[in-house]
Amino acid sequence: MTIRPYVTSFVLQWKIGLRYRLAVLAGLVAQMWFGAISLMAYAAVYHHAPDVNAPMTLRQAMTYTWIQQSFFTLLPLGCLPAIGEAAKSGAIVYDLLRPVDLWNWWLSASLARLLGNAIPRAVLLAVVAGPLAALVGLNGWSLAPPASFEAALLALISFVLGAFISASIVMWWNIIAARTLSPLGTYAVGTPLAVLMSGMLLPLPLYPDWARELLLLQPFAGISDIPIRLYMGMPIPGGVVAALGIQCFWLLALTMIGRFWMNRTVSRMEVQGA
Amino acid sequence: MKTATAIEVRDLRKTYQVRDGGSWRGKTREITALDGISFTVPSGEIAGFIGPNGAGKSTAIKILSGILRPTSGIVRVGNLVPWENRIAHVARIGVVFGQRTQLWWDLSVAEGLALLRDIYSVEPERFKRNRDRLAEALDLNGIMDQSVRQLSLGQRMRAEIAAALIHDPDVVILDEPTIGLDAPSKLAVRAFVRDLRRERGTTVLLTTHDMHDIEALADRVIVIGHGRILADSPFEALQATTLSERILEADFTGPPPELFLPDGAVETERGTRSVTITFDPQRLPAPALVAHLSTFPDLGDLRIGRPAIEEIITRFYADHAS
Repeated sequence: MTIRPYVTSFVLQWKIGLRYRLAVLAGLVAQMWFGAISLMAYAAVYHHAPDVNAPMTLRQAMTYTWIQQSFFTLLPLGCLPAIGEAAKSGAIVYDLLRPVDLWNWWLSASLARLLGNAIPRAVLLAVVAGPLAALVGLNGWSLAPPASFEAALLALISFVLGAFISASIVMWWNIIAARTLSPLGTYAVGTPLAVLMSGMLLPLPLYPDWARELLLLQPFAGISDIPIRLYMGMPIPGGVVAALGIQCFWLLALTMIGRFWMNRTVSRMEVQGA
Repeated sequence: MKTATAIEVRDLRKTYQVRDGGSWRGKTREITALDGISFTVPSGEIAGFIGPNGAGKSTAIKILSGILRPTSGIVRVGNLVPWENRIAHVARIGVVFGQRTQLWWDLSVAEGLALLRDIYSVEPERFKRNRDRLAEALDLNGIMDQSVRQLSLGQRMRAEIAAALIHDPDVVILDEPTIGLDAPSKLAVRAFVRDLRRERGTTVLLTTHDMHDIEALADRVIVIGHGRILADSPFEALQATTLSERILEADFTGPPPELFLPDGAVETERGTRSVTITFDPQRLPAPALVAHLSTFPDLGDLRIGRPAIEEIITRFYADHAS
């Protein structure tokens, strides 16, 4: 089996993503705005209750928020738009006519789309919220550097796993879009689910004690929450091994069950009409 | 690998489960799309596959392309079972669905073809050769760098055909390749398909509603209706059996009189100043019919022609439907 078609599919989606530079800028402004509002809210809460033993410091909450905002488009908010459209128009038949493994073919496109959207924004936001914010004297509000070299390395590995987990969840949305012949349902369910469960809305470490460990065990935590904790050097129950273990487990489970489900879907797919 | 028989279909059946009323509560009902069809297409033949909407053409095409799994039956395309060896099978066929696009809207034609080169693992040299040949034959050189969304329908269809052939498929399935095209584009597509077969011995399965496509291209016509094969014969044979009729249109200076037509001729239409007569020249030669009509004093003009092939086929469907 050659890897070439999948690399090509990745490069294609990456290029298409980069074609919309204005969207990157607009998204950046929106993310900065939401990030700033969250920071002010945290600042207000933390200053009002200085005695409470919070699971994260204010500085950690701010760094967490900046990174979450940077990687907003890395979340599996719904199916890959191209696949949703193809499911609706019936052009999806051409995907079945390619001599490629359909899972890897769609996965590489989905991954490219997520990374193509997220990386340019993340780089820009990291510069603005990090050194730039520090330079203008907003040091207390800025994005903190990684806890250590080791933490940075672990976070990098974890972010890569997180991107694959997210792309695998997008694959599930793709399958649902192919089954329902519409991308809409996947956005309606996927967006709130991903925003809530990933820690984008409220950092997962700030949930009540009883929910905190459970939330760490669901797949969305593996996308950005676990990598951010490793970046900041926050303690994770079970340590680094458990953190990466949870990510690997979900990646494997999502892939295996997803592949099985996809094969069933494809063998039953009845593309209607001429 | 080429085999003597490119496509073999035996006793192919496909039933769909549909739910009445569209809700999950509705009763399921079985719809038979293909009710045991069999045919073979030898290598290098152009077979026309025709039938009215809903006859089962598309279902058969989808099964042959490996997209759909049949309920039962045997299909071999160049020794492979399409739905069992999907990847190996689709690597050797080329498909054009006239109503859908396989090129990428955001990319230029050249970028799209390069992408297909990677998908089908076409070696660089072969790719360059094929691309240049297709660009020449399909007149694509002026539009290679335009993005697909900017192409006219005729340009796009030519690009689609190039996209389906960039990997030298042995078998090509064209599903309504001329739909919506203007006359010059239709002629260009037909000329290309003819050359493709002549130069490369490619087997072509063609579905169309345009009988001129069939007349211009098909060695053989398979007529399908209600999930069954109604006729499967060389084009000339179909023409001889069903196309022997002639049509005569007679104009009169006033309201047409009662004509008292001899045996072998039937009045099929009567207007205010004209009559259309269908006759069988085997039983009633044209001169005899003309001589008979000449006895009417207010006869104006006469025109004799062959009935349109669409009309014959329509009648053919109707005859076999009952």
